[in-house]
Amino acid sequence: MTPLRDVVVMVELELRRIRHDRAELYTRAVQPVLWLVVFGPVMGALRAIPTGGIPYTDFITPGIIVQSMAFISIFFGLTVIWERESGILKKLLVTPLPRSSIVIGRSMSSGVRSTFQMLIIVPIAMLIGVRIIPNPLYFLGALAIIFLASGGFAAISVFIASIMKSRERFMGIGQAIIMPLFFASNALYPVEMMPPILKALSSVNPLSYIVDAVRSLLITGDLAQLPMDIVAIAIFDIAMFIIASISFKRIIK
Amino acid sequence: MKHLPILDACALSIFMQSAVDARGIVKVYEGKVRALAGVDLQVGSENVFALLGPNGSGKTTLMRILTTQMPPTEGRALVMGHDTVRGGAGIRRIVGYVPQEMSVWTDITGYENMLIYAKIYGIPCESRRRLINEALDGIGLSEVADKLVRSYSGGMIRRLEIASALLISPKILFLDEPTIGLDPMARKVVWEKLSSFKREFGTTVFFNTHYMDEADLYADEIGIISRGRIIRTGTVAELKRSVGGDVLLLELEPGGIGSPLLERLRAVESVKGVALGESELRVIADDAETALPGVMRLLDGSGILVRKVSMSAPTLDDVFLKYAGTRLESNSRIADIAKVRQTIRRG
Repeated sequence: MTPLRDVVVMVELELRRIRHDRAELYTRAVQPVLWLVVFGPVMGALRAIPTGGIPYTDFITPGIIVQSMAFISIFFGLTVIWERESGILKKLLVTPLPRSSIVIGRSMSSGVRSTFQMLIIVPIAMLIGVRIIPNPLYFLGALAIIFLASGGFAAISVFIASIMKSRERFMGIGQAIIMPLFFASNALYPVEMMPPILKALSSVNPLSYIVDAVRSLLITGDLAQLPMDIVAIAIFDIAMFIIASISFKRIIK
Repeated sequence: MKHLPILDACALSIFMQSAVDARGIVKVYEGKVRALAGVDLQVGSENVFALLGPNGSGKTTLMRILTTQMPPTEGRALVMGHDTVRGGAGIRRIVGYVPQEMSVWTDITGYENMLIYAKIYGIPCESRRRLINEALDGIGLSEVADKLVRSYSGGMIRRLEIASALLISPKILFLDEPTIGLDPMARKVVWEKLSSFKREFGTTVFFNTHYMDEADLYADEIGIISRGRIIRTGTVAELKRSVGGDVLLLELEPGGIGSPLLERLRAVESVKGVALGESELRVIADDAETALPGVMRLLDGSGILVRKVSMSAPTLDDVFLKYAGTRLESNSRIADIAKVRQTIRRG
């Protein structure tokens, strides 16, 4: 399985980079922790959102993890832009790595950062009283979901990087994609509460499926929807990998 | 034919496969910018070949096509017998490549960079460590192998890049401006390592440069590229001989020479080319002794003070002047500084 081996090498590269510089992991955790520690309890105190008997902070914890994953992944394109500006991408193109492996491998690297982020957020959530299902298999399942979903968003980011060649424009576009997806998902409130148009949009919003999968594995334990969520995430990933692989030609010009 | 064909170097080269064989290569970027305007080039195997030209002449574009990074708009090229478009995978297994910009990850160690590339190339587990250590040792980096690349000097980064390109003992090595931004000492070290590797493995080395001295010292054969065309190829000696005659170097008081005067200088008997530097005038002439009086008369008549006159044999710069019509060195310094910055900036 060469393609798999290629992805493993890219993942190893990312692990080694993280090992030498952990500071970014901690600074990136600030924003999600604020959502958990400030937004969660304040909104929860209003009791305005029907969460099906789950404490509000518990309800949004998966949403916060997924949001953090989405941001890390969408900004992974910055790494790709840097690798393009330096000679790294050129050099990778002249190795036996197939181009699709470069795209998927670089995308899955962001999954490494996202799973580490989750490993930081979950203990903090537990500290402030969020009840995570104490089943290691469920937890590993949630980690795997975050890892795989991250690849899809990173692929979007590779696609944007192929169109936007400057960092500044890239930052703006990244925000403009993730925030609407986040607010139009079930991360902060159940889909049932949304106006009909948003509800319809939510059903094609990949974030909703990812949040639902992580919520079922970490908080509710209700796995009825999980297979459908996984299918949706797989379709999302594959579609984004294909788009990113096609657009990759533009990056290297 | 005076010599026996069997002893003729040219005749022999027909029997050796060309390392690079490019025919009619045209590259147009986004339908507008014509970077290459029909390149024909043959490079013999086990040669050190320098592609010499100023920035923007198409050197990098040609190298990116030969290393299969992008297809040409027209024409086709073979590298070690493989077509760069259809046989790309075959080429990528046997070439080493060092792009002009920095191409290593700076936030991991030198050893880790080599390890990642060893895994990309599928070098088996049992020989990985030995090969990496040999490569790092050979290029003089074993002491800093476990330090972050961020702490390396420019020369050390270049050597690491070359080490990782040599890891697979490539049949052909492509180097795009291998010593740009390096100090003379670091340049020398890089070339010593490349030369010894070449001797040991018989690897073909194809490098781009705008440093004449580098092409002069290290290349067996040189191709001169200007505005997307290869104007001339040959050995250094051949090229210099082809300029013919002598070079007069006149040191002047700065200022005062306009293009009408340059035109008149070009018309002087036996003068073949004239180039003006900041405070010097280079005159290529069939016979310097014939040309000198006429040149002096013109300069005197225009009130230009000549401080010193010297005569020399043609350099590659004169070769360039003759075939490309411009000087090689003058327009590259500023761009050079920008490139150095690019190499130093570590995202």
